[in-house]
Amino acid sequence: MNPLIALMIIVPIICALFLNLLHKKDRTIKAIAIVMAITLPLLPLLANYGLHYFGGYEPLYQNPALSKGLPSLITGTALNTFHPAITYSFQDAQKLFIFILGLVAFLAIIVSLFETRRPSGVYGFMMFMGVAAVSALILTDDIFNFYVFFEIAALATVGVVLVSQVKGNYETALKYMILGSIASPILLLGIALLLGVTGNVNITDIILSLKSGAVNPQNPVILMACGMIFFGWLYGSGLPPFHTIKSAIYSKALPHGAALLQAFSVFTFIALGIIILRIFSYLPLSQLVIIGVSLLAMIMGITMAILQTDLKRMIGFLAVGELGYIGLGLGLGTALGITAGLFQAVNEVVITAFLFIGFGTIYYQSGESDIRKLGGFMVKNPKVALLVLLSGFAMAGVPPLNAFQSKLMLIQASVQAGLPELGVIMILLSIVTFMTFMKAFHAVYMRPQPSDLEIKNDFIPKATILALSILLLVCLLLGLFPQMATNYLQGISTSLAGGVP
Amino acid sequence: MIMDTQLASLFTAGALIVIGIFASVFLDNLIKKVIGLAFIGDGANLFLIAMGYKPGGIVYIYLPGMARDWFAQNSAYPLPFAMVLTSIVIGASTMAVMLGIIMVLYKKHGSLRASKVLGE
Amino acid sequence: MNIYDLIVKRIKEAQKADSDGPVTNVSTSAMLTAEITLISSVLVALIMLRLVNNVLMMVAVLVVLFTAVLAMPIMPQLKREMNDSLYAMTFYMVLALVIVITLFYWGNFNV
Repeated sequence: MNPLIALMIIVPIICALFLNLLHKKDRTIKAIAIVMAITLPLLPLLANYGLHYFGGYEPLYQNPALSKGLPSLITGTALNTFHPAITYSFQDAQKLFIFILGLVAFLAIIVSLFETRRPSGVYGFMMFMGVAAVSALILTDDIFNFYVFFEIAALATVGVVLVSQVKGNYETALKYMILGSIASPILLLGIALLLGVTGNVNITDIILSLKSGAVNPQNPVILMACGMIFFGWLYGSGLPPFHTIKSAIYSKALPHGAALLQAFSVFTFIALGIIILRIFSYLPLSQLVIIGVSLLAMIMGITMAILQTDLKRMIGFLAVGELGYIGLGLGLGTALGITAGLFQAVNEVVITAFLFIGFGTIYYQSGESDIRKLGGFMVKNPKVALLVLLSGFAMAGVPPLNAFQSKLMLIQASVQAGLPELGVIMILLSIVTFMTFMKAFHAVYMRPQPSDLEIKNDFIPKATILALSILLLVCLLLGLFPQMATNYLQGISTSLAGGVP
Repeated sequence: MIMDTQLASLFTAGALIVIGIFASVFLDNLIKKVIGLAFIGDGANLFLIAMGYKPGGIVYIYLPGMARDWFAQNSAYPLPFAMVLTSIVIGASTMAVMLGIIMVLYKKHGSLRASKVLGE
Repeated sequence: MNIYDLIVKRIKEAQKADSDGPVTNVSTSAMLTAEITLISSVLVALIMLRLVNNVLMMVAVLVVLFTAVLAMPIMPQLKREMNDSLYAMTFYMVLALVIVITLFYWGNFNV
């Protein structure tokens, strides 16, 4: 038992509740939020690896004291190995993911505290609640628990959008909820079907019953369940056909909120992607469909991003497009591919947060995010312009920044897996990503300032610059020393690949 | 009994989901859309409960004096029921948020028609 | 008039029909890039059909190439299709649900 694992969920939830209670007490909110936000990246660093059992006990075979005196109906059957508790598994990959999530959350919360005129307890509530939910998504080994936190994360996403006061946010939030209310019951149905067939919701136990032959793996009900869970995956991470609504959601949130929201979707994407790979990787179609959907997401997301005139919408579409890279890595099914995909996920979370917060300074200063109405910011803030330019380099995969390493690994993995075409598409779309970024960068920073542009805030808060610098530092570190991340990911990718190097 | 109880519940659940999807896609009134969405959620919940149904089963509470083996063989499967409770709570909160947003939008646009409120 | 001018002209026409702002050089070139990216990446992706059958791959690439050239400004239509209207979104969502379920249910039996 490791109490720190439980604290990773409990601390943000408690903090969220407190912030909501203290709404309108500005100073207290600021102090509590900063202190609690610092603990978010620290907790995973301090915690030891292990399992945590919520509301139950470990499997009987691990604890002979418990199983003493029980009838052989229980101890003599598979019940002996089943997990009766909601199991949270904290291993090295989870450590990296939760650390990065905590870091992005910390920076987004700090930036939000200094960029909004009055710190809002409700906004803090939504952000912390989302962080708690997504941490649980990463940790949990129980698929129904996954569904519960999946819904909480969706509600927190909607909350972040509702608080933003951007024009049209209520309409977009309602659309997202309507689509979500159709898609998430489908995910629940998939889970119900799995429960019906295997009698279990613990993922390890489901895999055990599929592998041991207790359940026929070719059972049509399981195929149906796979399809439904896959559909839930599309919705949760914003892959096509949900890429339009997901990018709209990003564009209706405040930039720091959007930085956090994209981290939520990326981590939902990999958490559910890993679950799908763990349970269903024996189906020949599952990896093919993952590759197909990822390709579609890349092509649709990036080509749509070029056409956007709204800055936040453009980054939103780019974020969706970059998801495709992760999906390709997972879909290749080799250990190298999965490591590269997960590494790309980590990098993407950092870089997209970097972009959102960086271009967010424009929104903060002018209250405008339409590229056609902006210009002349290079003269005002050359330092921030440089940082934003570097974030664009990072996203396109320019060495020595981090996405270069992960994209290189992805291309190597696709060549090794015998699909060099994927590598070609990845390079092509990286170039187009860079072009999209440069188009926006040119319009915002290098053009002369339009005469009708009003500047509301002349100075960018120091906290924002600090956040951007920290993100740049992470990008550089991961770019120069990719082993720092990939060492954490090797274990999970080898087990997911099932021995394929 | 004409039809097996479990089968009947599964069919009802399927029908609820189909009706719900139909309503939420094709009806223009936002409240009606939300009612359709509630149908989908209810269908999924009913499906879950039906998974745990056991013909002639007893409530899964172990009372003193029960034979352990008899209890283990006759009690219904408790997991789906516990899960449905959670799922209902989530559904209710989602619905509350949706209806809240609709209230705000109604004040803003003076209409409940999706085609007018949500644009296009 | 060479083919580049022809494509640019057609894109400008298609944009004028439904755009919400003035047609600028930037937006036209963006549209052109998107168009080329879309077609070329789809073509490269189609080459992966070689794993199934070489002849099928060649036929598919040629057919898609010709249809793409004939229907040239694809991107404006695609953009119009991927708008923010709830009807379009729900339609595509239900379509995707049907495709995914069908694919997994029948596809896995017959692969």
